[in-house]
This record gives sequence, C-alpha cells and structure tokens, in this order.
Amino acid sequence: MNRRLEMAALLAESSWQGLRAAGLAGGIAVATIATALFMLGAFALVVVNMEGLLDDFGRELQITAYLEEGLTDAEAEALARGVGTVEGVEAVAYVSKAEALERFREMAGGAALLDGLEGNPLPGSLSISLRPERRTPEGLLILQASLDGLPGIEELAHGQEWVDGYARLAALLRVAGYALGIVLSLATLLIVANTIRLGLFARSDEVEILELVGASRLFVRTPFLVEGFIQGALGGAIAALLLALAFGLLVPELRYGLSFFLGNAAPRFFDFGELARLVGGGAGLGLGGAGLALLGSRG
Amino acid sequence: MALKPKPEAPARLPLDAKRPEAPVRMYGVSKSYMPGSWALRDVSLEIGRGEFVFLTGASGAGKTTLLKLLFAAEQPTQGQILVLGRNIARLKGGAVPALRRQVGVVFQDFKLLNRRSIEENVGVSLDVLGSPRRRTRSRVFNMLRQVGLHERRDDPPLALSGGEQQRVAIARALVGEPEVLLADETTGNLDPELSVEIIELMLAAADRGTAVIVATHDHSLVERYGKRILRLEGGNLIDTRADAPGAP
Repeated sequence: MNRRLEMAALLAESSWQGLRAAGLAGGIAVATIATALFMLGAFALVVVNMEGLLDDFGRELQITAYLEEGLTDAEAEALARGVGTVEGVEAVAYVSKAEALERFREMAGGAALLDGLEGNPLPGSLSISLRPERRTPEGLLILQASLDGLPGIEELAHGQEWVDGYARLAALLRVAGYALGIVLSLATLLIVANTIRLGLFARSDEVEILELVGASRLFVRTPFLVEGFIQGALGGAIAALLLALAFGLLVPELRYGLSFFLGNAAPRFFDFGELARLVGGGAGLGLGGAGLALLGSRG
Repeated sequence: MALKPKPEAPARLPLDAKRPEAPVRMYGVSKSYMPGSWALRDVSLEIGRGEFVFLTGASGAGKTTLLKLLFAAEQPTQGQILVLGRNIARLKGGAVPALRRQVGVVFQDFKLLNRRSIEENVGVSLDVLGSPRRRTRSRVFNMLRQVGLHERRDDPPLALSGGEQQRVAIARALVGEPEVLLADETTGNLDPELSVEIIELMLAAADRGTAVIVATHDHSLVERYGKRILRLEGGNLIDTRADAPGAP
C-alpha cells in the first residue's frame, strides 16, 4: 500500500481510539454542538419560511393604476400600451369600467344593492404586473415613480405598506439570526476547545510518549483534529434529526399560529443542501474547537 | 536576583576530532537547572558506531541528564552536542522528531501506553516511521519473541510485571533498529539472568552498528562485560578509555 495511505490509515485508527477514549467528555461536546445547532437551525427555519412567503408576495405583486373619469376605451388601451413599455413592467391588462362593475357584482354574489346604483361608480384601471427583478419594496417604489403623473392615471395602488413591514420583520429576524449564530458558534467553539483540551490533558502521557519516540506534530495532532471534526459532524447530524422531528411534530399542532406569519403558504423544512450545511457547520465548529485547543497546547 | 547561567555562544567544534563519523559527540557540555548548581560540567566524549558503553555514577550524578541531552529532551547550558551529525542546540521544529526516530530510548519509568496492547506499544516506533502495517506486525512479533513476550502481545502493559514492562520498553527502543540506543537503568527491575539477556540484546544491536549507552549503577553487570565505562561524579565525567577527552 502507498506509504501515505498507510499513514492515513494509522491516523484514522488513532483518531478512532481517541474518540473511544474521549467517552463522556466527547459525548458532552457532541451534545453541546447539537444543542447550539438545533437553536440556530430552528431560527433559520423561521427565517427561510418568512423569506419564502416574501417571494410568494413578490410573484403576486401588482400595481393597479386607476384611470381618470371620462377616458375612452381607445385612450385607455393606448395608455396601457404606453405603460407596457416602462422599464420593469412585465404585463399590463386594461380593466374597463364595465368589466370592473361586472367583477364587483360577481364578488358580491350578485347583490341586490348594486341594482339601486345610478350609473357605474367604479373607475377603469390598468393591472400592471412587475418583472421578477422588480418584485421588491424598492423595485415597487421605482416603478411607482415612473408611472406617477402619467396623463390619464388618477391614482396608483398596491400593498406596499404590508410588504414593507413584512420585509422589515424578515430582515430583523435575519440579523437576529446572524447575531444569535455568532454568539452560539463562539460559545460552542470554546466549549469544544475546552473539551478537546481536557482530552489532551487526559492523554498527555500518550502525547508525551509519541513525541519521545519521534512522532511528528502532524502525527500527534491529527487524531485530535479528526476527533473534533467527527464530534462536530455528529452534533450537526443530531441537530438536523431533532429539527426534522420537531418540525414533523410541532408544525401540525401550531398551524393556526404559523398562519399568522406565513399566511396560506405551507411551512417548509430544510432542503438537502441546507441540511448538509448544518452538518458541515457542526463539523467546522468541531474542527475549529480542536484547532483552538491545540493552538494553546505546548506539544 | 540570581540569574540562571546564560548559554554561551556555540563553541567552535574541534577540527581535530578523532572520529568525526562518531554518532555521539559532546564538547565542553555543561547543564544547569538552577543558578550555581551544575548537573553536568564540561563533559566531552565521543561514542563511535557499534560501540557499547556503560554510563555509571551514583543517583543524582547526572546520568539521566546526559541521556536527555542526547535525545533533545533538554538543551545544554554550554557546549556543543552532535548526535548523528545534528547539532542539538540548533534543532528546530520538525528536526527533533526526525532525530528521535533514529535514537531508541529505554526510559527508567518505561513510558508505555497503558491503553494499548504490548504489540501496539512496540509498533508505535515503526508507526511514526510510516512503516507498512504488515511489516510492522512481523517486525514487532520478532522483537517480542527476542524479549520473550510474543505470547502476551495482546495484553495491556498493566497486566505485566515490572520486569516484563521493561522488556516491552526495550523492544520498542530496538524494533526500529536505531543508530543510537540510550538505556536509563534498564536492568534495575530485572533479575540477574534477565539482565544478562537484555544486555546481550543490546550488545547484538551494537554488533549491527548501533552506538549503545547504558546508564546503570549495577557494578557487577559493568564488571562482567569489561566494556568502556563513562563514570559521572557530581556532574564531572571520567572516561575509562585512555585516549578519551575525559580520561583521567
């Protein structure tokens, strides 16, 4: 076998022995990483779901331009064509006064109260849908500024306040998530470093003997780094498992509360890539903690 | 406040060294652990390839310090030490492990890995060399057979007697066929018959070209073999070899 492969096999064996020897301290490190990543993951789940809802809003986002009274169908259609050329506009549909009344009648279920109306009080309008890149609160504002004041348009309407508020909440959650992530990651890093250092102390005789028989720094240190990496990855995998379990059990129970945040959108769990990042994050934390522990050790 | 003596600038190595190929060379070496007290004073010696020497002296005479200097566990306060052509005072980072892979050491307290088997303990000297696993197993088995412990290769060290643990330590030091072998009170825990067997093993290593230094205070053993003797008294070296630098 190749000499490097032999050495890698030896280091793997030594790492496995280290993991077995870590015992309870190793278990505590895994549990700590799992707990920290569970909290982070739960928070991330809330944020991704709110962002998903924001995307849904974006797809349904439209501007309604109410037209001035007295505009003929031909003038309105010409205006619609003009609006269609404005940058950021995907499509424009003209809704005449008669169509508006007909729609309202349908929505009201053919209510008799409309029978008493003299004439048609509803204005004609243009339903303007946005290009995907403009489906943001900022994009909406820019487009509104382009359309505002066009001859024939009396008023522009859209649900910007709601979208703004929701976007602000999602941004706040994201920032809070990052802050929480940094604090939890640092705490986990230090706990893992401490655990690995305890393992180093417990096995200081072994480290000393290895150094005395001529083991290189790499040979002595690699098992501890691998140990930290595996503990971290295990912690990440356990966190992912617990999150899936909690998601499966809690989401049906909390659907009414969740609908306040998510509307009609169905809550979603992490996809494979996001789960892999969670486990990878755990492995990174474990590796970083082990590196930190070794950095402070003499050998 | 008294200061610890500062190491002097490296002295020039004598150009007329009689055996420049000698794997162990010390020139004017002194070692102090605290101000005013010297564990070794102005020690000079050369030990050639395949040479077997006894290092004797009372407890605290400096035997262990001298051995520690030779595998870079300590740095000299003064003087120059060359082991296998490497200057101990100038070894940096990865050079220390590289030196130790060529120097076998039998420690007074054995220094065995108690969580590993006898076979793994002996094999660790070959593991650090990157020796293939199959070759390691075969060499370890042969070595353990030489020290009479091949049937106990799966046992942990703590299941063995003191004398048996010492034999494991000797097997670990010899299995890598080192160029220099240092043994600190190796036969202290062994009965006379076993002591002779162990010394024979080290003599065989010397016959293969290893420079062997055995620290002991067992005078009967020293007298029995009639080998060169380095005697330490209060940190000063007295060499029995007539032409040696420290000869009386």
